[in-house]
Amino acid sequence: MRPENYQAISHPPSNEYELNFGPNHPGIEGNYALKVKLHGDVVVAARADGGYLHRGFEKLMEGRLWIQNIALVPRICVPDPVPMEVCYSMAVEALTDMEVPERAQWLRVLQLELSRIAAHLFTFGGHAATTGMYTTMYWGVADRDQVLDLFEEWTGGRVYHIYNIPGGVRRDMPAGFLDRVSRTMDYIESRLPDYDNLFFTNQVFVDRARDTGPMNQQQALEWGVTGPNLRATGLAFDVRRDDPYLVYDQIDFDIPTEAPGDAWARTLVRRQELKQSIHIVRQVVEKLPSVGGPVRTQIPNPLAWNVPAGETYTRVESSKGELGYYVVSDGGDKPHRVHVRGPSSMHAVQVLEQLAVGARLEDVAQIMFSLDACPPEVDR
Amino acid sequence: MSKKVTPWLDNLLQEIEGVEIRRKDSRRVRIDIAADSLPTLLELLRGRAGYVHLSAITCVDWIDDGQFELVYQLWSYESQSLVSAHIRIAREPGVYVSVFDLYQPAAFFERDIHEMFGVYFEGSPDMSKFILTEWNGPPPMRKEFDAEAWVNETFEWKDYQPDWLKEITEQGGGIVKTPEEARQKKP
Repeated sequence: MRPENYQAISHPPSNEYELNFGPNHPGIEGNYALKVKLHGDVVVAARADGGYLHRGFEKLMEGRLWIQNIALVPRICVPDPVPMEVCYSMAVEALTDMEVPERAQWLRVLQLELSRIAAHLFTFGGHAATTGMYTTMYWGVADRDQVLDLFEEWTGGRVYHIYNIPGGVRRDMPAGFLDRVSRTMDYIESRLPDYDNLFFTNQVFVDRARDTGPMNQQQALEWGVTGPNLRATGLAFDVRRDDPYLVYDQIDFDIPTEAPGDAWARTLVRRQELKQSIHIVRQVVEKLPSVGGPVRTQIPNPLAWNVPAGETYTRVESSKGELGYYVVSDGGDKPHRVHVRGPSSMHAVQVLEQLAVGARLEDVAQIMFSLDACPPEVDR
Repeated sequence: MSKKVTPWLDNLLQEIEGVEIRRKDSRRVRIDIAADSLPTLLELLRGRAGYVHLSAITCVDWIDDGQFELVYQLWSYESQSLVSAHIRIAREPGVYVSVFDLYQPAAFFERDIHEMFGVYFEGSPDMSKFILTEWNGPPPMRKEFDAEAWVNETFEWKDYQPDWLKEITEQGGGIVKTPEEARQKKP
């Protein structure tokens, strides 16, 4: 690093200078910036700077019909879009007292877990890239594409599926689809040892990630950390098990935890979650043929659908943590207010600002990727 | 789960006046409370009932009532239940106290609400802008804020006529509709 190349150099003799880390930096997880104050190459202060993506989703939703917002919400977190659709749909269903057919609930679980697999492959691929192991990233992206192929065949969209709607899902799956799901799961599972050899047990990764950005369980609870980042501090909390929705209470799965709470532990939790998600998908594949019936409840004319006045907070476990939707209806055909509680809002601002302090500049990107923060969830 | 929730709810009823409690289901409880009493309620929930996780603070603009509603979502890892505490504050001047000393995540939510609704939280560690750093307009999430009108007042439409496009237009192609024309429905 050559400090003289940067404009915002503080005056000597403090030897401290500021650096804009992002938004156009290969080591940052999207259009996001971290303003870091450095002493040598050690971060002494960090300040998150969002807003590069801000599209005002919450305001936009107030101007759109209830059903139209389904097409809007997956844009909030591109790598993991399904929890957005499901959580918003669950909120509308709670407001209208609508029942979701059982088959649709299983289909939603299948969608959620496939989305989690795709998101985790993307995240630890990115994490590997920040430590120089680009092969892992290429593999991660290529294997993620296998899951996106499934989504494309199933819903027509690779990333934005617009598949989960209030009342259920849009349509059933194509013929023979479950076989392809099984084959893809077999393939992804067969790849896991390769990832272990290439990345998770790689001495470079272990040395770089151990003791990087550590937080203990007490801090995690104080800072409002959720999801894999919380589980990496040893607390086995998962919305799917502890505040169940859909049919998760009928599914058997473990909640992996790690104790150290550092970048290594966070990534290792995701690695184990991949295995659990594959396990869940297989249970759905097994169960689905015996669950018959419709896949959605008839909803009123979407162009003149007045949702009864009320409010609700629904939440799901996304790949990044607790995702919540607080939705208020005043009885009209559009929401009065929608608040998206993105899990990344805590991780990318308050937690990152604290964990970056004391780290070396080369570890900042790694800390951010290990927190798995999705910038559009922060500025919404 | 609900069995664990009951004792503290009963105690709470006796300790704070003016509380309305509605149980939505076994894991969801809604509490409506006077704005002045909310910090006491949160302290009790956190200290005695283990509601250590603040999921979100949401602001809802009830413009016809001249009020903002602030909703605090609290989760207890022990009793596995979610409490939503609702208060109403006057829209003008839109000032409330921060709960940062009880819940650190409040700093982010309060900063967000300050930026988007203009509510000021006394005692919050940081009320500076986060997303709208170059924004000089009114708080945009308020109901009276009309984004389209604001854009029309603040900016002006300009014809997009680069040289390369002129050539295409002369040949009958290019941008054939202005935004206003595109918006008008066909007769």
